[in-house]
Amino acid sequence: MVMKMKKASELQYGEKATIDNIDFSHPSSQRIIEIGFTPGQEIELMNKSFFNDPLAFSVRGSLVAIRKNEADCISVS
Amino acid sequence: MNLEAIETVPLITVVGPPNSGKTTLFNYLSGKNYKTVNYPGATVEYSIAHLQKRFNINAKVIDSPGIVSLSANSPDEEISVSSLFNHPVFGSPDLVVVTVDSSQLSRHLLLVKQLLNSGFKLIVALTMNDLLKKKKLGLSLVKLRLALNCEIIQIDGRTGEGVNKLLRIIETELEKTKLRDKKSGTISLSKIDHESLLALYKEIETIEQDVIYEIPTNGNGFDLEVANSQLKVIEPPKESRNKIDSTTLRIDKVLLHRIWGPVFFFIIMAATFTSIFWLAEPLMTLVDDLFSFLSSESATLLGNNLFSDFVSTGIISGTGSVLVFLPQILILFLLLGFLEDTGYLARGAMLVDKPLSKIGLNGKSFVPMLSGFACAIPAMMAARTIPNKRERFLTIFILPLMSCSARLPVYALLIAFLLPAEKSWLGGIFLAAIYIFSISSSIIVASIINKFKDKIVKEEDNSSFILELPAYRKPKLSFIFVNSYMNAKIYMKKAGPIILAFSIILWFLTYFPNINPTVKTNSQTTEEITHAKEMERLSTSYASDLGKLIQPVMTPIGMDWRVGVSLISAFAAREVFVSSLALIFKVTSDNDTFQQSMIKSMREATIGNSNQKLFTTATIIGLIVFFVFALQCLSTVAVSRKETGGWRIPLLQIIVFTTTAYVLTFITVNGLRFIGIN
Repeated sequence: MVMKMKKASELQYGEKATIDNIDFSHPSSQRIIEIGFTPGQEIELMNKSFFNDPLAFSVRGSLVAIRKNEADCISVS
Repeated sequence: MNLEAIETVPLITVVGPPNSGKTTLFNYLSGKNYKTVNYPGATVEYSIAHLQKRFNINAKVIDSPGIVSLSANSPDEEISVSSLFNHPVFGSPDLVVVTVDSSQLSRHLLLVKQLLNSGFKLIVALTMNDLLKKKKLGLSLVKLRLALNCEIIQIDGRTGEGVNKLLRIIETELEKTKLRDKKSGTISLSKIDHESLLALYKEIETIEQDVIYEIPTNGNGFDLEVANSQLKVIEPPKESRNKIDSTTLRIDKVLLHRIWGPVFFFIIMAATFTSIFWLAEPLMTLVDDLFSFLSSESATLLGNNLFSDFVSTGIISGTGSVLVFLPQILILFLLLGFLEDTGYLARGAMLVDKPLSKIGLNGKSFVPMLSGFACAIPAMMAARTIPNKRERFLTIFILPLMSCSARLPVYALLIAFLLPAEKSWLGGIFLAAIYIFSISSSIIVASIINKFKDKIVKEEDNSSFILELPAYRKPKLSFIFVNSYMNAKIYMKKAGPIILAFSIILWFLTYFPNINPTVKTNSQTTEEITHAKEMERLSTSYASDLGKLIQPVMTPIGMDWRVGVSLISAFAAREVFVSSLALIFKVTSDNDTFQQSMIKSMREATIGNSNQKLFTTATIIGLIVFFVFALQCLSTVAVSRKETGGWRIPLLQIIVFTTTAYVLTFITVNGLRFIGIN
C-alpha cells in the first residue's frame, strides 16, 4: 500500500503519522533529530498555538513544540 | 588560592537533559538550595559545590545547564559542553553523573550514548521512576547495564531514595580513578552529524525495546516487578510506552486552546501583576509602622542634635523607605516561582513565539522577559537559552524596559501621590497600567531596533523555536517559599548596602556645610524656626550645589534640582530615588507612616521661592514615564556588556533609553500642562 507523503506541518489536530524522512538541508534539522524526531517514530499533532504556529507534537512520549517551518522538514505518512 | 588543593580534589559533573531531575540531584548532593526549575534550560550558570560533609566523600560537584546532546546550540548549552570537555579552571571531570528520566528513556539515552562514546567515566542516575510506573511500565536494570556497560542506579532526588547507593558507587569509582593517571584518559568529542545521530537513535531504540517491559494491569501492584521478570514478556506495544501524561494533555486542551489559550495567558499574567500590589498591602503597612516607630523613637531618645538626625533620617528613614517594598518584591518572586514550577512557562513561551518573532524576538525571550520583572540581571543571563544571536541580543537590549522590582518602590510612591487616600485600592490597576505601558513600549522599541538589526549583529543565523513542554506538576510550595526567600535575601544583600551607603552620602550632602544656619527668629514658634533652619540648611548644602549644576536639564521637564539629585542617585539603584526624596524632603515621622508623611511633604514642596508646586499630577506622571524608560542601573549595564561581549549594546542602551526617557518626560509633562492637567 502506498501512502501519501506529506509534511508534519500539514497534520490535522490529533492526527497521527509516522516519520518517513527528515530534510537534512533545513538548518534546524539536527536539533529536530536530537530532540527525538527520527524516521520510524510515530508523532501526533497535539496542540497549535494561537496563530497556528508553533505546533506541539507528541514524540517519544513527550511534548515538543516546534515552529511550522521546522515541521516542514519532517515528512510523514 | 592553592591550586594544588583544587587539583587533588576529584571533580564530578552532573549533566542531563532539561527536566531530567538534574538540579534536584545536584541540590541533594551539595546540600545547597539551588534552583531546580520546571523550564528547559533554566540553570543558566553552572553551580559548583562540595559534596555534603555527611556523605564523607571528598569531591567537588558541578551542575550545569541541561543539554539534549553534546552539540551545543545556544550559549547556555555551550557552558555545559565546555564544562565537560575543557572546564577553564578544573579541566575535565573525573566522573560524570548523567540524569536520565526513565519515562523518557528513548530520548534521554542519546546524551548517555554520546558521553560514553566520548570516553567519560559515567554513572547513569535514572530519575522519575514513579512516572514510568504510572505508565504501567517496568525497566530491567540488569539489561540496561549490560547494554550500556556502565553503572546505573535508580534514584529519587527529592526524597533521597537511592542516592546513598549512588554515593557508594561514586566512592568506588573515584577510588578507581585515583589509581589511574588522570591525564591518561582519552576524552574527545566525536563528530556529530545527522547520520551519526540517526544511527545512535537506532541503537537506542533497540536498547529501549530490550529493557522496557509492560507491567500486567491485573496484579495488585506489589510483587509486580518480580512476577514480571519471571513472565515471558511479549513485545510491549509501542503506544503505551510513548503515551503522554493524560492530566497534562487535559490541561493543555484548555491552556493551549486556540482561542482560550491566549485568553488564559492574559488572565494569568494580569492576575500575577495586580496581585503583587494587593497581596503586599497588609505586609507593607506592618513594615512601614515598624520603621516609623524606630525612627521617631530614636529621634526622641537621642535628642535634637547632629547624631540624632543622622540616625533617624540618615539611616533609619533612608533604609526604611525602601524596605517597605520588600513584601512586594517577595510576592513577585513567589508568583514567578509558582509559574515556573507548574510547567506553565514553556507553554507561555510557545504562545508568544509567533508574535515575538514578528518583532525580531523569540518565544524563548519570554522567560527572560518575565524574569526581567524581578531583575534585569538574572534575566539577561537567562537570555543565554536563545540560540539565535540576533534574537538574543535584541532580547537583552529591551530587558531594561521590563519593569523590574527596583522600580516598584518608586511607582508605589508616585501612584500613592496620585491617588486620594480613600481610593488607594485603585493602586493595583494603576500599577497594571504601568506594566502594560512598559510592555507595549518594549514591543515598540524592539520593532524599531529590529529595523536596524543588521547593525546590531551582522551574521545571519537560523532562527528556531524547538522547546520541550514538560508535564504539568503540582508546584512544591515549600520549595517555592524557600526559593523566594533566598531570592529576596540575595536582592536585599545586593541592594541593601547600596541603599544604606547612598542614604548616608545624601544625608551628608544635604546636611553640610551649613549645619547651623542663621535664620530670622522674630515672632516665630520654635517649630517654624526649625523648619526655616532646615530649609536654609538644605538650600545652602552641597547637594544643592550639585543640583544647581543639573537644574538647566531639570527645568524643561518641570522639576528642580532636588528631583535631579534623587534621579542621579537612582543610578546606583533605582529604589534609592525614594530614600533620596525622603532625605531631601526631610521626612520625619511623627504619627504618620513614612509614605503618608513623605507624600505630605511632597505636596507642600514648591519650586524655588515661587508658589509653583513641584509635584503635580503632570510632573508625577512625567516621572513615571522617566522611570519606565531610563536605564538607571549600573549593574545592568555591566551584565549587558558581559553577555553581549562588548560595549556596543550597553552603550546603545544607555543612549537610546536615557534620551527616550528625557524626551518623553518632556512631552508628557508639557503635554499634560497644555491640556490643562497640572
